[in-house]
Amino acid sequence: MRVLCVAEKPSIAKAVAGHLSGGEVQTHNTPEKYIKNYVFDYDFGRPWGKCQVTMTSVLGHITAAEFPPEYKKWDYPPPDRLFDAPVNVVVAADKTKVADNIEKQARFANALCIWTDCDREGEHIGNEICEAAKKGNRTLDIRRARFSNIERAHIINASRNLVNLDYKQVNAVASRIELDLRIGYAFTRFLTTSLKTLGGPFQDLLLSYGSCQFPTLGFVVDRYFRVRNFKPEPFWSIKVMHKREGIDVNFSWARHRLFDRPSVIILYERCLMAKKAKVTKVQEKPTKKWKPLPLTTVELQKMATRFLRMTGQQAMETAEGLYNKGFISYPRTETDRFDPGINLRLLVQKQTQSHAWGGFAQNLVDGGFQQPRQGRNDDKAHPPIHPITFASPSVLNDQEKKIYEFVVRRFLACCSEDAKGVATDVDIVYGEELFHAHGVVVLELNYLEVYVYDKWTGSVQLPKFTVGEMFEPTEALMTEGKTAPPHYLTEADLIALMDANGIGTDATMAEHIQKIQDRDYVRTVPRSSRSEDADDAEGSQATEGSRAGRPTRGGRGRGGRTGRGRGATNNGREGIMEFIPTQLGVALIEGFDKMDFETSLGKPFLRKEMELKMKAICEGRTTKEVVLDESIQQYRHVYIQSQQKLGVLKAACRQYVFGA
Amino acid sequence: MDLPAQIRSGLQSQGLPPPSIAWIQTAMPNRNPLPPLPALIATVKTRFLAADLSNPALFDSPSPAFPPNAGNPEVKEVKLTWDIPVQVLDIENLSKSKWEQIEELEAIARGEQTRGREVIRLPTGNEEDEFAADNQTTQSTINGAERPGIQGRGGPATSTNAATKTSTHRLVLQDCKGQKLYGLELKRIERIGIGSLNIGEKIILKRGAILARGTLLLDTTTCTILGGKIEAWQKDWVEGRLARLREAVGADSRNGQ
Repeated sequence: MRVLCVAEKPSIAKAVAGHLSGGEVQTHNTPEKYIKNYVFDYDFGRPWGKCQVTMTSVLGHITAAEFPPEYKKWDYPPPDRLFDAPVNVVVAADKTKVADNIEKQARFANALCIWTDCDREGEHIGNEICEAAKKGNRTLDIRRARFSNIERAHIINASRNLVNLDYKQVNAVASRIELDLRIGYAFTRFLTTSLKTLGGPFQDLLLSYGSCQFPTLGFVVDRYFRVRNFKPEPFWSIKVMHKREGIDVNFSWARHRLFDRPSVIILYERCLMAKKAKVTKVQEKPTKKWKPLPLTTVELQKMATRFLRMTGQQAMETAEGLYNKGFISYPRTETDRFDPGINLRLLVQKQTQSHAWGGFAQNLVDGGFQQPRQGRNDDKAHPPIHPITFASPSVLNDQEKKIYEFVVRRFLACCSEDAKGVATDVDIVYGEELFHAHGVVVLELNYLEVYVYDKWTGSVQLPKFTVGEMFEPTEALMTEGKTAPPHYLTEADLIALMDANGIGTDATMAEHIQKIQDRDYVRTVPRSSRSEDADDAEGSQATEGSRAGRPTRGGRGRGGRTGRGRGATNNGREGIMEFIPTQLGVALIEGFDKMDFETSLGKPFLRKEMELKMKAICEGRTTKEVVLDESIQQYRHVYIQSQQKLGVLKAACRQYVFGA
Repeated sequence: MDLPAQIRSGLQSQGLPPPSIAWIQTAMPNRNPLPPLPALIATVKTRFLAADLSNPALFDSPSPAFPPNAGNPEVKEVKLTWDIPVQVLDIENLSKSKWEQIEELEAIARGEQTRGREVIRLPTGNEEDEFAADNQTTQSTINGAERPGIQGRGGPATSTNAATKTSTHRLVLQDCKGQKLYGLELKRIERIGIGSLNIGEKIILKRGAILARGTLLLDTTTCTILGGKIEAWQKDWVEGRLARLREAVGADSRNGQ
């Protein structure tokens, strides 16, 4: 029996061949210089048994969807014809050598085993491989290996438990590819040719449209206007301080702040009239700061942009590299809970040799280990991102070191214990007004020792107060403040918005964010010092606002503000980048928004629907044909409306780009 | 006792200030035969609650009104010595900035809070995960509703009208002589909120209610909300709210929209 194995990329082919062959492998070059064929013997167990194996790979997608040649010109036929033009799936020009290799190898094989990454895209690539192989041999027995990292035992196990390709996922991706092609081409041509007539910079500009790009840009523009249009307003508050046992105890006002001075004066005066405050509640209770959830892709990207000075895309590329080298599990996952079957202690054990966190890992091995928290998401394909083996810093480059360290620290934190402390709450009534003091003392850092990205600062010890006692506060002040505008979006904010609104998949978000920068629709600028000041002002509002609104559970306490400030310096957040739209970006979104039809292309709604439909295909609730039909209808409708209201878009371009 | 007088005492027994007999006669339904007394009282009550209190025909004079010099900010504190019926002319949530309210109203106007089409907004600034420990906000569920934001934190869950436990409202109250005073929530009163308290709604300020620096301090013990609304005033108030808020903060309409 001869089996052809095909992975998604060369590094996986090499690693899998290494594990299956046990090292006895012949390596052959192929016409495509990046791809090697590895030949070895391997026993797959039943039904294939002992086989002669050729392991090779592709380089991502082999095929591309494209329009026939008569649709290649931009001026004719009109762009909306692309909504129903034929679409051909052909081997991409740069992948013919890759496809030829598969076809040729398939001729000698009885069976084909797909080793592409286990996600939707991988499933589709698996199908592309099948099609290429079938050209050489129509009688192949086709199976698929399911794996989420390239650790030896895991790979061997996958090879002994082969499954079938999931055609629902293949169809979902095929739908997405076709829709992106039709919609992207139609609107890109429409925008580019329609706006060309404005002249100036539009003369030679390619205005690319993508159904993810535009809503992503929409978020940036929306926040931009919220910052720009913001009107600061003054507010007033009452602050009570009481000195006891050498401690300045700050009490915050239950009303937090009011946007009317005379009202606050009246209430403040009534506090002073009362002279003495009365303690109404004293509560001391244990509190915790919860350890983080197991790591997902979205969270990895957000944390990397916040703490590691990387863009989401850099983080993903780096994580991908670490996965290809076998150091971490597959980095594209939505799962935030570990399967109970996975031996986490063993993975912790592997980290004990580190100089940086080995001691912490050893403590876990010696009895400190705790099962991670269980999140609510499980994509049923991959576990949360976690380290597979120990990687010595010497084998990693700078970026890899940062990501690897983060993945490991996060993992160890997950396997550790919540931080513990004691929270004290004191409520007083002063006049008719209620005030509150909150103190927290951290007793055990636990996971915080290894998870340096998280802080539990603002430890405030409160002196003794007794219910019913009366005291005259040392100080009662009426204070004044001013609201500050929100910040421009950071990449972490943007990823969170995309995630919440179903724009892109966790795996593609970073690419869309990069795309709108490449297209010069948005730029990133370092957060200015001015906005750092604003940050502080907001920080205090946010902290207190949140306290007023909800029950205290953990011990975030009064330290919110200072903790945050310190966090910023400790974690290198001063280099944070903000997204600001270019004039062109503003013009495009404003143009579409002002057309004022039900679903502007600058809003996330249409795309969200499309993503949900992809999911429905995967779950067998609908079919590719139905989805293509519906989505094309929708976008064609928008297209026609956009055509009718082109004047609005042009006016926005004139206004923002030419300043007319 | 004739019918209007019976209605009058019926209203009075329900805690309403007794309107004049003449007014009751105008408020009685024009039907023959008249419905039974309890139904009549209910009808007249509804009309009373929908009436303009400052209509001189509504009460026999002299009717209970704010004491003279009530609005004097020099007076630190006096207590009302009799019950006073008033109506609501305006309501403001002093706990929220006007801008925040404007942003929320505009989002609704764009149809972005309709369920299913929500644009979920993040709070501004870099949220810390220190909140995660408190409310289990997890990685993929972060949205404006769950995180306390700063400006415009009204995520989908909090509507513009939502008043929290700690909200403080200020009302403009008018007595039957047309005199106006501010009423400030000294203690939170559930019924008071934008969207839940109507313009033209009737309130009885009880004897003993505090008047401080010309502002009435409201709490549940000194303030009984009777209900009602004046439809036309309410409509104008709701329709003009965004424009009033905008004017108050000195904002132009965004790009002339």
